[in-house]
Amino acid sequence: MTASGATAPGVIPGGGAPPRILITGATGFLGGSLVERLLAHGERRLRLTVRSGSRRARVLAAAARHPGAELEFVDANLVSPSDARRAVEGVDVIYHLAASLRGAPADMFLNTVVASKNLLDALPAGAGRPRVVLVSSFSVYGVAELGRGVVVDEHTPLEPHPQKRDLYAHVKLRQERLFREYAERLGFPLVVLRPGVIYGPGGSAFSSRVGLDLFGLFLNLGGPNLLPLSFVDNCSDAMIVAARAQAAGGEVYNVNDDELPTCAEYLAGYERSVRHLRTLRIPYPALSLLSRAVERYHTWSRGQLPAIFTPYKSATTWGGNRFDNGKLKRLGWRQEVPTPEGLRRTFDWLRSQLPKPP
Amino acid sequence: MEKIAHAELDGDRPPADDRSGMTLKIALVGCGKIADGHVEEIQKLPGRARVVAVCDRELLMAEQMAVRYGLPAHYDSYERMLERERPDVVHITTPPQSHLPLARLALAAGCHLYVEKPLALDHADATALVNAVAAAGKKMTIGYTYLFDPPALEMRSLIAEGAVGKVVHVESWYGYSLHGQFGSAILADPGHWVHSLPGKLFHNNVDHVLNKLTEFVADDAPALDARAWRRHPVHFGDARDQMQDELRLTLVGQETSAYGTFSSHVKPAAHFVRVYGEKNIMHVDYVSRSVTLEPGATLPSAVGRLVPPLGQALQLLRAGARNGAAFARGDFHFFSGLNRLIASFYDCILEDGPLPIATREMLRVSAWMERIFAQIAAGHAAPAAGAPAPGPGVSREVAR
Repeated sequence: MTASGATAPGVIPGGGAPPRILITGATGFLGGSLVERLLAHGERRLRLTVRSGSRRARVLAAAARHPGAELEFVDANLVSPSDARRAVEGVDVIYHLAASLRGAPADMFLNTVVASKNLLDALPAGAGRPRVVLVSSFSVYGVAELGRGVVVDEHTPLEPHPQKRDLYAHVKLRQERLFREYAERLGFPLVVLRPGVIYGPGGSAFSSRVGLDLFGLFLNLGGPNLLPLSFVDNCSDAMIVAARAQAAGGEVYNVNDDELPTCAEYLAGYERSVRHLRTLRIPYPALSLLSRAVERYHTWSRGQLPAIFTPYKSATTWGGNRFDNGKLKRLGWRQEVPTPEGLRRTFDWLRSQLPKPP
Repeated sequence: MEKIAHAELDGDRPPADDRSGMTLKIALVGCGKIADGHVEEIQKLPGRARVVAVCDRELLMAEQMAVRYGLPAHYDSYERMLERERPDVVHITTPPQSHLPLARLALAAGCHLYVEKPLALDHADATALVNAVAAAGKKMTIGYTYLFDPPALEMRSLIAEGAVGKVVHVESWYGYSLHGQFGSAILADPGHWVHSLPGKLFHNNVDHVLNKLTEFVADDAPALDARAWRRHPVHFGDARDQMQDELRLTLVGQETSAYGTFSSHVKPAAHFVRVYGEKNIMHVDYVSRSVTLEPGATLPSAVGRLVPPLGQALQLLRAGARNGAAFARGDFHFFSGLNRLIASFYDCILEDGPLPIATREMLRVSAWMERIFAQIAAGHAAPAAGAPAPGPGVSREVAR
């Protein structure tokens, strides 16, 4: 294994060399897994964008397990156009994972959408344009008005009212639209993956689809809804399959595993394996009433408290859908880590992170 | 390349010269974090104003704001926005480096100005800005929102009633979190505009300390002593390591003295003013929105030690009850001061009344800031002999 800390890309070998792959967000939860899985799939020349101060230990450890791995770290903040140009120079494939998961609205748009625009503006002209794999999200689908139990697949309409949704959905929807606009204009091969709830060791315990922690009381909002889990390594495999398949160019793929638990089953498993929670189950009809009340209060009080629940948000997050990963399977993806095993690994890791008794 | 908003393409925007009654047309430039607060509070004043457009040099940033707040137009060309929208007021919420040039363009377009703090990059720019506003015959205010928060209003009312007597000394404390929304963005990016300001982190925050002192320290140039240092661990290897995060100030005027504190490490991040009078000490707390008096013992012996805390407890109970009542009325908002300042400014435009914040106060703050940053910079070059342990940036200016 070799690792370069250069702030500018090195010399790119000529024809016949294996592809140089750029991964943005490589030191994040999903990025770390993708590096490991790419190396396991035989890739060797990886360029990783990192921010100063970010943790590189995980990807370095992954590279150490794969002889011949060549990691190149590019210290780049994609909000800077010049950094974006340095990052994409000479690459053959781009996995764009970098995104802001939380923070002020302006920061989330800047770090996700504007950063994406800089990346796209930096793509070289002509035939040498790299293949681009964008990690989007289930949250771009407009499911509020679909009704309970409707199957979400790649034909489900996109969210028509992003401003009514949570900020993450709004940001990811705009990011995806931006990639489509550029792909259409520049003509590069774009593959969009829309994962459900990515989980695994190193990730967070709960998606908001399961519920929300309210000052120590966990509101169990998902109940009997299916939880569209995607074990992090399975999700990485899906990206790799999509990046390698010529047929995937211009296509969208939903990413979720089989044997999906309900939100209640996930919560029960967590409580059995990790720790007990103080929970309050709120059935969907009650949540709908609560959402209407919260929205009315928010309007009456002119925003004195945030509208964390509204009928629209509740319908999108806790309305309850079913999911279809058939298109991804037809492309050749197979779930390597079965869901019970993924859950076991995740809960074991979460338990290991609990504070040790004195 | 110039791009124009979606609504213009849709054609559903009212004509640019449509001035409906006394409703001010507001435009905003700079769609960063603080801009959200401006738009939200302006939208609570539908009778007085409406936001007609926002602008950012990055069109995507202007677009996201327009979509989230349902605004009719957004631009990446400031000149084009001024020309097409013909706003009555422009809110400038960009980094301070751009305040003066953006203000000049707005004044040339006949607009009044709301400028976020700090007023400009330095005192010379601040003076030029004030002069330009005066020459244009327009009005300007600055984002000193805490001066209009409920506890500040109560403080002024009580002082006017003589609650503290003649003021001897004032203390202004502003706690800051390096891990909050603003601090984390600055720490995450060595290229963040704050790192290129002369006063760096202090430059963007010390207004909050100083603007509460100007109403007590009447002098233009009080004796001023500034000490600053860095407490956060050094590990970035770039501009962020040069960012000091603790600042202590002493000001001595003819009648009144003052302390100022900016701290990034004291937790919780407190925010208060203490007014020390000849009669009482007043504690004005901006976090808990309470104003309490700390009277001395008026009863003899041990009883004199027993009664004061009960009196203070009662004051806090009353403050809590008042806040609770305001909350129940739906009148207890995070940005109360911003809303009141914006409303006062718009009223002063519509009624040609006095400014909510006098320009002299803005200039005194900018002049004091310049002296503070000069002292800190001098301290960097030559640390004062006998300086306290924490301080590469410690400096001292002899009282003038």
